[in-house]
Formats: sequence, C-alpha cells, structure tokens
Amino acid sequence: MPTPPVLALDRVSRDLAGRRVVRDLTLTLAKGEVLGLLGVNGAGKSTTLRMIAGVLAPSAGTVRIDGEDLAERAELARRRIGYLPEVPPLHTELTVTEFLAFCARLHGLAREADAAVGRAIERCGLGDVRRRLIGALSKGFRQRVGLAQAILHEPALIVLDEPASGLDPVQTLNLRELVRGLGADHAVVLSTHVLPDVVACCDRVAILHEGVLRHEGSLAGSMSAGIYVRTAKPMKTGDWLALPAVAAAAPAANDGMHWQIRLRDGASASTLAALIVERGVGLEELRAGNAALEETFMAIAAGGATAVAA
Amino acid sequence: MSASLLIARHEWRRLAAQPFAWLLAAIVVALMAWQFLLALEGFLELSPKLGSLKDAPGVTDLVAIPLLRSFSNLLMLLVPLVTMRAIASERRAQSLVLLLAGGVGNVRVVLGKYFGAFAFVLVLIVLVAAMPLALGFGTALDYGRLAAALIGLVLFAGALTAIGVLCSAWTAQPALAAAAAFAITSLLAIVDAGARLKGIDNSGINYLALPTHIEPFFRGLVSSIDIVYFLLVAAVALAFAAKRLERLRSVSD
Repeated sequence: MPTPPVLALDRVSRDLAGRRVVRDLTLTLAKGEVLGLLGVNGAGKSTTLRMIAGVLAPSAGTVRIDGEDLAERAELARRRIGYLPEVPPLHTELTVTEFLAFCARLHGLAREADAAVGRAIERCGLGDVRRRLIGALSKGFRQRVGLAQAILHEPALIVLDEPASGLDPVQTLNLRELVRGLGADHAVVLSTHVLPDVVACCDRVAILHEGVLRHEGSLAGSMSAGIYVRTAKPMKTGDWLALPAVAAAAPAANDGMHWQIRLRDGASASTLAALIVERGVGLEELRAGNAALEETFMAIAAGGATAVAA
Repeated sequence: MSASLLIARHEWRRLAAQPFAWLLAAIVVALMAWQFLLALEGFLELSPKLGSLKDAPGVTDLVAIPLLRSFSNLLMLLVPLVTMRAIASERRAQSLVLLLAGGVGNVRVVLGKYFGAFAFVLVLIVLVAAMPLALGFGTALDYGRLAAALIGLVLFAGALTAIGVLCSAWTAQPALAAAAAFAITSLLAIVDAGARLKGIDNSGINYLALPTHIEPFFRGLVSSIDIVYFLLVAAVALAFAAKRLERLRSVSD
C-alpha cells in the first residue's frame, strides 16, 4: 500500500462573509518537500494555511494529513502539524522556556518535552534569550519563538505564514537555512511575498490568485521557463530564434540588450551562454534566477495568466 | 497530564505572572478584612446584651455568615474580572490559534480555561474564609453551618466562573466580556425580584434566580436541588463556550 502524502487538499473551498475566498484547491505535498505558496494580498494564502492547520474548517472539500481526514480525526491530525501564523501566537507574560515547555506538552510531549524545548531553542537561535520574558523580546526574536513552537514536536507538516516578517537580513538568511533543513525531514508549506525566499527554500511553487490555484509546479520548472540575459550589443527577436537552444525570446527593455529567453527542451543555460559568446554580442549577464517566476507571478497578479502546471 | 489540567495550570501560571491578579487579590482581601473587623467590633459591642437572650445568635450568625454573604455579592463583580481575559485576550492577541491548532479539543480547552480561573477564585474564597475560621481559636463556631456556606459559595463561584468563561469566548474584548458576565449574573440575581415583591417565592421564575439557591447554604441547608442548579448553570455555560470555540473554527476570527 503506497504511503499517503503528508498533506492532501482535495477540492477545498472556503466561503467568508458570503464570498468564496478559496475555490476548489487541490494540492499534495510529500515528506521532504518545501512548497512556496505565493499570492498577492487577499489571494487566499492565509485562509488556505488556516485550513491546512486545522484552525479554520473548509466550506467544501477535504484536508488530509498523513491520510487522516482533518475534519474526522481532528485532534490526531492536528498533532502532526506545526503552525506559525502571520502573527506569532505567544504568551508574552512567560519566559521563552516556560512558553515552549507548555507548547511541547500541549502537542503531547511528556518526558521528552525538555529535550524538545532545548532542541528547538538551539535550532532557532534562542539560547541567549531563553530566560527572558517574551514580552521583552524584539519582533525578530518573537518571530523565532513562534517558529520554535511550530517545530518543537517534530511534526510531519510544518505550516509557516510569512515567517520572515520582521527579521533582519542575517536572520532571514538563517531562517532560509533552517527551512531548508526542515524540508529534509518534514513537509513544509511556506507562504511569503518575498520571491527570493521561495527561490532559496522551496522545491515547489503554488501561486494563488483570487482564491484559485493559478500555477503549481517544481521550482526548477517554474524558473527554467525563462532566463534573463543582458548583452553588450543590441539583439533582435529573430537573432535569438536563430540560436538552436532558444524556443522564444521577449525583450525585457526597449534597448535590445535585455531579454527574457525561453529554452528549448533539453537545452541548458550553459549551452545558451556558449552560443551567445560564440555570436560575439558580449554576454554581460545571464541569470536562471527568479525572473521567470517573478514574471509568472506578476502576470497572474495582473489577471492575465491561466492555470499552468510547470 | 490531561490537556485540560495542562491548560488550567498554564492559565494559573499566566494569572500569577500578571500584576492585575495580585492587585485584585489584595483589594479583595483588604475589603473583606475591613468588613470582617467592623462586624467583629459590632459583635463585641453587642455580645454583653446577647447573653441575656434565649437562643441568642452567635458569632457565626453575626460575623461569619454575613461576611460570606457579602463576599458572594462581591464575587458577582470579581469573577467577571478574573475570567474576562481567559479567552477574549487570547483572541485579541491572536494567540488562541495556539490552542485551536494544538491538537486539543474545544471542550478540553474550555475546561482548562475554566479550572485555571476557578482555581484563582478558590484561592480568594480560602483567603476570605480564613478570617471567620480564625475566630475558632477563641470562640465556638458553628462549623456545620460554615461548611454549608462555604460549599454554597464554591458552587456559586463555579457557576459565575463558567458564565465568565462563556462571555470571554463570545467576544475578543476583555472589558466587554466582563461587562456581559456581570450583566448576566446581575440578571440572574434579580430575575425574580418582581415576583418576590408580589410575595411569590416558589414559582419557576424564583427557581431561576441565584439568591434562591445560595441563601439555603447560608442558613446551613445543603440541598441537592441547589447543588444541581449551580452545576447545571456551569455545565450549560461551558457547553456554550465550547460551541463558541467550534464556531470560531468555522469563521475567520
């Protein structure tokens, strides 16, 4: 019998105040995957995460955690979830250790609670503030305490809603590293507005717009859809299409020197680089970065893209 | 450890960490101690005359029971202040999600919140009860009647605490929760006032009123119908509070 995915959403919808804010959302996530959930404000990201975390019941459809229906076996399923909402749920009158010890026991840990708290404190870099009152901590540290409570019981599924909010650049880099590490042993859903966070942490991307899943696929697939190229000399579309590795080319600026290139199947960025150099137009920049993802995101946000599976 | 007990202990810990709870306890003890000393002084002035009366009231009738009766009135104001933050402040701080997402059922969350607040109210009852009980070192107390009054007070406080938790689950504003709890308990206290003015004291409306059920305890009568009344009020209020949490899962909070 095959192992069920850690998270399975089956045609999940949610109505709020008479409006359908999430519509027929179907998604699966396996252990070892990090899914980046993107969308503009009001796209339905937080509502989706709340349903996944068992805090909000779907109006229609089912959410399964490790094959267990979240509605039917709510308590059991919820123990397999670690959830960090947009506003970290903290009890500010307690110290970091006191609060995390409570969370550990709340998630069903008993004798191993102290060890779990110690591990979470270490992973989230809270060692220096473990005896401080949460109310006296900076926003960044509070965010880290929120993250620690979400991971301390080693849940199968970790749900993070804007985890980088309030973190400084160094903390953001640490967070990315932490999320990548978590992705090795857990399934992680990460909601963010910050595309570089997705590029740095995620294996897969899902883009929601007006409650509908408009794009879903691997990060590599989403990014290889386009490569940004800057040349020293101007080029025309026909020049690009003459190159055997290029399937499509679109100008990214009017000067003819900035382009979004889509590669043919089987072609790689290094092949494209070699062809540009061979042509002698001066390769100044070539990025298989998030330009394509950003382009997809912006197109969807503008309402111009149809559902795509990369 | 059961989830309810865990949440109750956590609530207790959170209450103890707040200056508000200590201030409230200090005010209650000071207020009741002042009343106790006034009643005691009155009793000492009156006691030479009481000696000549047949079946004269003792210190239990004139000091202890009036003090506990007065405390029961104070509890109607006090308990909403203790319970107002139980769930409302968590909703306001958006930390209720910790419990809702934590694999703990709604009933156990409500019971945990209830017992955490009730434990604090019990401590206040013990502190106040210690005043008349201290008279036992120097005079003869009617311990049976005192025990009945304390049982009634505990049941009464239990029902008020449940109403307070229900109101705290109903709104995200602690002050509004306190006001609503005070309004409901006040309504239950005076619901039969009209009937009593007309000399009716044994009708259905009388049964609904809180004083109908607390007064027998102060007279030394422990009756199962009064016990059931308080337990019923507490159970219904807690059931509605759990229902409210269920509702919070189905709407965006």
